[in-house]
Amino acid sequence: MPGTGAGVAAVRPAAVSTINAPVVALDGIGKRYGRMLAVDDVSLKVDRGRLYGLIGADGAGKSSLMKMVAGVLAHDCGTVEVFGVRIDSERAAERVKARLGFMPQGLGLNLYPELSVEENIDFFARLRQVSAAELAPRKQQLLEMTRLAAFRTRAAKNLSGGMKQKLGLVCTLIHAPELIVLDEPTTGVDPVSRRDFWAILAQLIDGQRLTALVSTAYLDEASRFDRLALMHVGRVLAEGEPAELVAAAGLRVAQVQAEPAALARLAAHFAQTEQTVGAGRVVVTADDDESAVAAVRAALGSDEHPVPKIVITPPDLEDLFVARLQALDGTATIRPAPDADGRFERNRDQRPERADVEASVGTRNATPVPAPDHNGGTHAIDAQSLTRDFGGFRAVDRASFIVRYGEIFGLLGANGAGKTTAIKMLTGILPPSAGIGRVAGADMRQAGQAIKERIGYMSQAFSLYTDLTVMENLLLFAGIYGLTREQARSRAQWAVALGDLHGHEREPAGRLPMGLRQRLALGCALLHQPRVLFLDEPTSGVDPIGRRRFWDTLRRLAREQGVAILLTTHYMAEADLCDRIALMFAGRVVADATPTQLKAELTAERGQLLEVSAEPPLAALAALRAGGFAEAVLHGRRLHVLAHNAAEAGTRIGAALAAAGLAAARIAPQTLTMEDVFIHRVLALEAAAQAQAAA
Amino acid sequence: MSGLPQFARGAGRWLRQVAALVGKEWRQLLRDTALVGFVVFIFTLDILIAAGAPELDLRSAPIGLIDRDGSVASRELAGRLRAPYFDVRAVADDEAQVARALERGQLRAVLTVPHGFERALVRGETAQVQLVVEAADSNLGYLVASYTERILALLASDLAPAGAASDTLPEVRLQARFRFNPALTEAWYATISELLTMLTVASILLPAAAMVREKERGTIEQLLVSPLSPLQIVLAKVVAMAGVVLVGSTVAVGLVMHGLLGVPFAGSPLLFFSLVALYAMTASGLGVVAATFARSSGQVGLIVLLLVMPIIMLSGTWNLRESMPDWLQAAIYLSPLRYMVDIAYGVLLKGADLATVAKPAALMVMLGLAFLVVGTARFRRQFR
Repeated sequence: MPGTGAGVAAVRPAAVSTINAPVVALDGIGKRYGRMLAVDDVSLKVDRGRLYGLIGADGAGKSSLMKMVAGVLAHDCGTVEVFGVRIDSERAAERVKARLGFMPQGLGLNLYPELSVEENIDFFARLRQVSAAELAPRKQQLLEMTRLAAFRTRAAKNLSGGMKQKLGLVCTLIHAPELIVLDEPTTGVDPVSRRDFWAILAQLIDGQRLTALVSTAYLDEASRFDRLALMHVGRVLAEGEPAELVAAAGLRVAQVQAEPAALARLAAHFAQTEQTVGAGRVVVTADDDESAVAAVRAALGSDEHPVPKIVITPPDLEDLFVARLQALDGTATIRPAPDADGRFERNRDQRPERADVEASVGTRNATPVPAPDHNGGTHAIDAQSLTRDFGGFRAVDRASFIVRYGEIFGLLGANGAGKTTAIKMLTGILPPSAGIGRVAGADMRQAGQAIKERIGYMSQAFSLYTDLTVMENLLLFAGIYGLTREQARSRAQWAVALGDLHGHEREPAGRLPMGLRQRLALGCALLHQPRVLFLDEPTSGVDPIGRRRFWDTLRRLAREQGVAILLTTHYMAEADLCDRIALMFAGRVVADATPTQLKAELTAERGQLLEVSAEPPLAALAALRAGGFAEAVLHGRRLHVLAHNAAEAGTRIGAALAAAGLAAARIAPQTLTMEDVFIHRVLALEAAAQAQAAA
Repeated sequence: MSGLPQFARGAGRWLRQVAALVGKEWRQLLRDTALVGFVVFIFTLDILIAAGAPELDLRSAPIGLIDRDGSVASRELAGRLRAPYFDVRAVADDEAQVARALERGQLRAVLTVPHGFERALVRGETAQVQLVVEAADSNLGYLVASYTERILALLASDLAPAGAASDTLPEVRLQARFRFNPALTEAWYATISELLTMLTVASILLPAAAMVREKERGTIEQLLVSPLSPLQIVLAKVVAMAGVVLVGSTVAVGLVMHGLLGVPFAGSPLLFFSLVALYAMTASGLGVVAATFARSSGQVGLIVLLLVMPIIMLSGTWNLRESMPDWLQAAIYLSPLRYMVDIAYGVLLKGADLATVAKPAALMVMLGLAFLVVGTARFRRQFR
């Protein structure tokens, strides 16, 4: 983590912010693109020195809103005030532009790829007419803070995604703006770089009285904001401080340990349920813990033996958002996907029958049953020392792993770790420099067309034809897979049912919201009933409900049809849902195990996870690091610490905070998530790599 | 004996896959308003513009006349420098002014008739006139000079005293019969040349742009992992765009040139359009090759520009192939348009049959196959 030194451990200027006028004030603004209403009657205020978050899925209207604030897009109605200046003309927008910085959406989109890190910064400085005397120290400070100082001469195009975003931030900050508007700076960025980015931002806001309006598609990042607005199809669904919102929601989370059949009954009763083996997590509408327990018990039924164990915890923001979105959306329950023959529930609007759910949950929880392929092997994917060089750069370094039929296999890693290259080698797009990638028993280097018929692939970017309609895309790919006209029609109908794309058949794919696009892409990849499915970041930018449904479909494919699924994701919550995980670092596979094993390993190695809530978080982080918890990390507004002995660690944490003059903290043990595993692993590997480089 | 039906099934499937891709290409093109506009323009309005603006005739060239003779003969000369070729303007007898007028392009040439012009003509002596030509556009300059010369020669022979020269010199009277274009109608030549130029541009650009767009949007990856051979992907682009070009040239030749402008269609339409289709596929093959070198639409646009100009220059569409320097003569055979020029003029104006154009057609197809082979080979390799 960058140097969170004592200098930034000052008291947050919360008192100052209230007496000042808001930096941004929006009142009833709206924006329309043709027939589509992108922003609908939005009012909100951003106070000075705050980190304000806009949260929502793709197409929620976040980008349009931010562009209107940054003065690069005109609004149709309502008023926009920035620094007290009403933005109602080009001229008014120009007046405030010098005081704000805007970073558009897209990895490194505001950068010039051919220019070096330093040239990019210098260009933006000249554009903003920053004097040489001001530029030098500011550039130095920002480069050090973002740890880009070592890469001054590297061309922007050769930076990783996370580094590009940090450079983008530096360029946005080079003229010392008072307000920065960052549009999805963390989308497509791996969890480590993401956490790093938020830490830098928190430091800047703390140290320089900066105000930031930041959007994100990752709902789990919501807790990092001082204040936030949840947006959905152009409207604000909820607005306020995170703690306030959670308190006002009237929701409780019940962690239930029970038999699969009992858990299945929960799934039928509660819209938000998540299940892992032997345990379930349910979001209950209840004002207090007792009524929540009662509601869960009622749903489980009284004849349950042994008596299920129920633990009630407060909901996190994601639970709250999903609940809000579900309340809006008719798709309150996650509908089962049709089976392979295209059969579909007759009454789609009714909740699934209990028996169906039981069956589905039963298979979901079962361990994957390997189904042999045509050659009798059970290995759907067999990577043996796969290596790929690009010039002098080794993107994938002797990666070996095996994926069995019926298994969901997650390939995790930071940006640039080699995940996509590995997938490209296994799908036959790229030939390996060395090593062998076998898919369904065949070497992909000499992959004939027969083997390609058993592979389905969804690439990282949406790779369907945006100018063709949903149905045209489906029929095209049916044709590409050589299906006859009748087969093509029936499979296309199946895919429409699978993705619940009814009513969108004649819409151009480019106009679909992200979630629907991804479901269409999945449908296209499944038209020919492949045995092996490759998905490269399939849920990037998809709303949480869409993601859950997507996963439900994946599980069915794996469990019921024995499809082998290899996927990559930056959502660590999704990593938890994989049967097996391979963690990649610098092109190598550094871990290959089940999520449970990986968590157990980390606990054995480093101890259990303690969540520390202390204010202000940055000062507390500095205090903990000084007090011997060198690996303490910021997680939202809380701190995560790993320790073998919770009681002893608690005392030491208290002492460290007291030494820094901070109030005593609340310390709660937490279950490890894959995000904790990922971050600790990658940070350790990074440290080892740096030590090696230094030696 | 199960080999044959199995093969037929395989071939049917192979063709179904290509057909799916071709249909997709057409749909995408139809939804791209700018591209549709471009295609419609080059096969209709552009041909009309070419017919209306023949560059190779002299029309209303502004010519200045300084008449120092002030005689009947000099006035007769002024009268003969007439429309539609010339637009005679009197200019002051001032060297500086004349030079300025030429410099600014107000005048194409200035003709000075000296004192004693008429006297010399009447006496049968040699009369001298001075013609200053603005030859920045050398072709136009040459035309101005030669038209003036012809007018002067006629004037001289008309004004010469009876028996002065014709008695002593034998006279050759040329009686030219212009075959295939008896009236030397400029529009015939101009529209055919323009059609061939635009055929070439469209045939190369459309498939190249379509291919690069797939790369830019990442859709190519989805095609690469599907059971398609590179040949199918390349062939689908070539066939789809050649189809578009074929429809365009049918409109251009049938409606615009033959119907509106009266350009003759002497040969067999079936033969002509079959060969247009073959040419379009040949040039499309080149477009596919071009696309394998480009990563973005901008790049492919430049590469196509770089290809089209030499192809047209080397083909003899607008100029004489025979007059090119020796070191370029060999390169002429690489221009696919070179063969199509012979074919198009042959079939359209001369009514040539298959036997007559068989040789250029065969050479063109060979060139096309070569492009297809290179394009297919490079298509796969570019992703490695």
